[in-house]
Amino acid sequence: MSLPPDYSNEISALNREILKTQPIDTLQFCANFFLRRLESQRAEFLLSQQHSSPKRRGMADNNFPGNNPFGTSPSGGFATNHMQRLEEEEETDIIASPTSASFAPSDMDKAPSAPNSATFGNFTGFGSAGSSKVNRSQPPPTTGAIDPQSFPNNYNLNRRTSVSAESLNPASSLNDNWTPPYHQKSDDQQKRLRVAVSGNFLFSHLDDEQSTQVLGALQEKPIPTKGIKVIQQGDVGDYFYVVESGSFDIYVNKSGKLESGPDGLGAKVGTVGTGGSFGELALMYNAPRAATVASNEQSTLWALDRVTFRRILMDSAFQRRRMYEGFLEEVPLLSSLTPYERSKIADALETKKYPAGTTIISEGDVGESFYILENGQAEVFKRGLDKPVKQYQKGDYFGELALLNDAPRAASVVSTTEVKVATLGKNGFQRLLGPVEGIMRRNDPSKAALEEASSVDPLARGT
Amino acid sequence: MAAVVHKLLHHGHGHGHHSSSDAPTSSHDRQNSDMERALENEKRGLAHWEDHKRPLSPGEVCANPEDKPVGYSSNVFTQDTFELVKTLGTGTFARVWLVRFKNPKLEERDQVFALKILRKVDVIRLKQVEHVRNERNVLASVAGHPFITTMIASFQDHDSLYMLLDYCPGGEVFSYLRRARRFNEPTSQFYAAEIVLILEYLHEREGVAYRDLKPENILIDAEGHLKLVDFGFAKKVENRETYTLCGTPEYLAPEVIRNTGHGTAVDWWAFGILVYEFLVGQPPFWDQNPMKIYEQIVEGRVRFPSAMSPDARDLISGLCTVDTSKRLGNIKGGAGAVKSHAWFRNIDWEALYNRKVNGPIVPHLRGPADTRNFDEYEPEPENREVYSQEMSEKWGEFFKDF
Repeated sequence: MSLPPDYSNEISALNREILKTQPIDTLQFCANFFLRRLESQRAEFLLSQQHSSPKRRGMADNNFPGNNPFGTSPSGGFATNHMQRLEEEEETDIIASPTSASFAPSDMDKAPSAPNSATFGNFTGFGSAGSSKVNRSQPPPTTGAIDPQSFPNNYNLNRRTSVSAESLNPASSLNDNWTPPYHQKSDDQQKRLRVAVSGNFLFSHLDDEQSTQVLGALQEKPIPTKGIKVIQQGDVGDYFYVVESGSFDIYVNKSGKLESGPDGLGAKVGTVGTGGSFGELALMYNAPRAATVASNEQSTLWALDRVTFRRILMDSAFQRRRMYEGFLEEVPLLSSLTPYERSKIADALETKKYPAGTTIISEGDVGESFYILENGQAEVFKRGLDKPVKQYQKGDYFGELALLNDAPRAASVVSTTEVKVATLGKNGFQRLLGPVEGIMRRNDPSKAALEEASSVDPLARGT
Repeated sequence: MAAVVHKLLHHGHGHGHHSSSDAPTSSHDRQNSDMERALENEKRGLAHWEDHKRPLSPGEVCANPEDKPVGYSSNVFTQDTFELVKTLGTGTFARVWLVRFKNPKLEERDQVFALKILRKVDVIRLKQVEHVRNERNVLASVAGHPFITTMIASFQDHDSLYMLLDYCPGGEVFSYLRRARRFNEPTSQFYAAEIVLILEYLHEREGVAYRDLKPENILIDAEGHLKLVDFGFAKKVENRETYTLCGTPEYLAPEVIRNTGHGTAVDWWAFGILVYEFLVGQPPFWDQNPMKIYEQIVEGRVRFPSAMSPDARDLISGLCTVDTSKRLGNIKGGAGAVKSHAWFRNIDWEALYNRKVNGPIVPHLRGPADTRNFDEYEPEPENREVYSQEMSEKWGEFFKDF
């Protein structure tokens, strides 16, 4: 007769532990081992009670009623057996050890389900969605299986699927010389579009240039008549739309997709009119449409596709990073940065704009930041001299000694045109790479490099 | 070992060809037996790896894949080598099976593996060719790390790609977390610490951004340690930023949403979300409408339950910092700065890497092939699109090194 497999498994696990640990007190070690195994098996057992039913995979929130994370609900899978329930209650203290909640019950109440919290699932029911809220943005999508009304602010506990957009590769886009499409618009139209997208966070972060390119890329799409379904629930989504004129109704079918037949559209959840927009998720990645949008009358839309949008953003980010890296390479103080460090600094540079006539740094002040002139022109003044001692053009840098020490600025820099600068403070630099002295000592362990450095700053040199 | 088998095979084929002019019939037999010998050889190598399994040091893991016992491209294995036992997981274009050798010898009876099968047609249709290539190459280069799924070998046939992985019988951390609702601090710290070691290795040794950290992609092995799986979005970024949006909505970093270029720092952001989800039971940014999630992420204001410890809050705030130049893990010290954070003060990093510490949950198993910790999945749909000769001509080049 052979030994039961469970036993063999336990023994071989124990053997492994013994080999690994080589205990002195073998018997105590074995006793501890089995105690630990017993504890974890019990925890496992209780956990697997809820796990055993495959259909409950995702598990709705009512598996965890009240404050007991291992609590059973009368409707749940395993509360029917009285013995099990008793055992579960008895063992609560032990099972709680490996995985239990660390929050006191009173705190758990406040935690994930705080009713007015903006963070914890601020679902706004479909009931209120017909109002202006939906007018601006995409209608709230439904995930099909979940009935939002019955779980007012609960997190969806199902497995989450990964998302991904088209592969965007900046190297190839430089080669093929891509330029964003441009569709002519009147000043009025431009203005309306700007307002229409201003509340959308995907657009509010854009700089002027990106914003101009994106608005230029929006393409007019006439909708000749009532009843045209511009987007259909469940379809792939590639376009974002802004309503130039006319109006559209939004429908959500609980099945998750548009169906045939008279009720195939599902329930009407809102209307979107002039200045409104919909379908913005399509600017992120290709997700199934969460609603159907159909015209109420003859209308006009502006359309923007994801690849164009993301490519405009990518190209400008890519070019800016390469430009910054190029500028940084020219700074002797930073010549020993590795490409990796340089790209980190380039990423941390902050863009600032100043009108003509702004004093960007002023002589005698304590220097805190370093600047690269990205656009425009500036002049250097020294006290006691009427005329500028130096002109700065695109790519010139100044104030880099601030990264090194707190010495006062050796001169003032004043913009002569509107300028755009990229800037980084000493704190920011040190946070990323540590003190700049350490970096300079890589090349030359002596102080010579530091002394040399003070001679390369035109301001320090006191021309 | 891989190199040895390659040579063997090569030699075998050459020999077969050479002798074909004078003895055509025996050459066929010999080729067959060469093939069998090569298969036996690979199986032996595998058994050896299984028996002596130990975490390779970071330096050893880093080694050229050809010099490692695992992570090679096999010319010998085919789907026919294995018996498909049960589905362990499915994705949009892949299915992972529990497998064992067909007609196992006595000593092979207990050997089980996870076999990830990707259909070329679906990979192409879903535009995931590049991601699949990245996945295979990254897994090959990291094979042997104690907390990353070991890709033992990869191979392909006319219409599918295969990755033979070690089987992790504990199932997903996700399942444990959802059942427990939330983990206590020691459990969270333990799992988080193993993830830190993974990220440290991926970022600082390999220059790889993982890009899809979440409890669903973390498995528990027989000893209660973690294994990171699904490297579909992993990419060697080194010192260049990358732009393709990918990940899981709740875990996307702000720079991914804004498309300003991203790198390994996205994993530290996601790591902060993960620690939060361990401790709270749900991620900090959530809404029914995904766009609202993204709006919250870009804003980056994390709210903490009142009972969360100050150290945990400080760690999460440091990780979930919108400005990458201020984000913990991405700033000076890299992963080291995360490891020395107060929340991890009880962790012995060296002991942890060498798996000397016991995991908080050790799955109870009835043997190496126990699948009770995995959910049931629908059977594979019938009548699927075929990988045509035409497609093969167009795309074969992209899969040739698989």
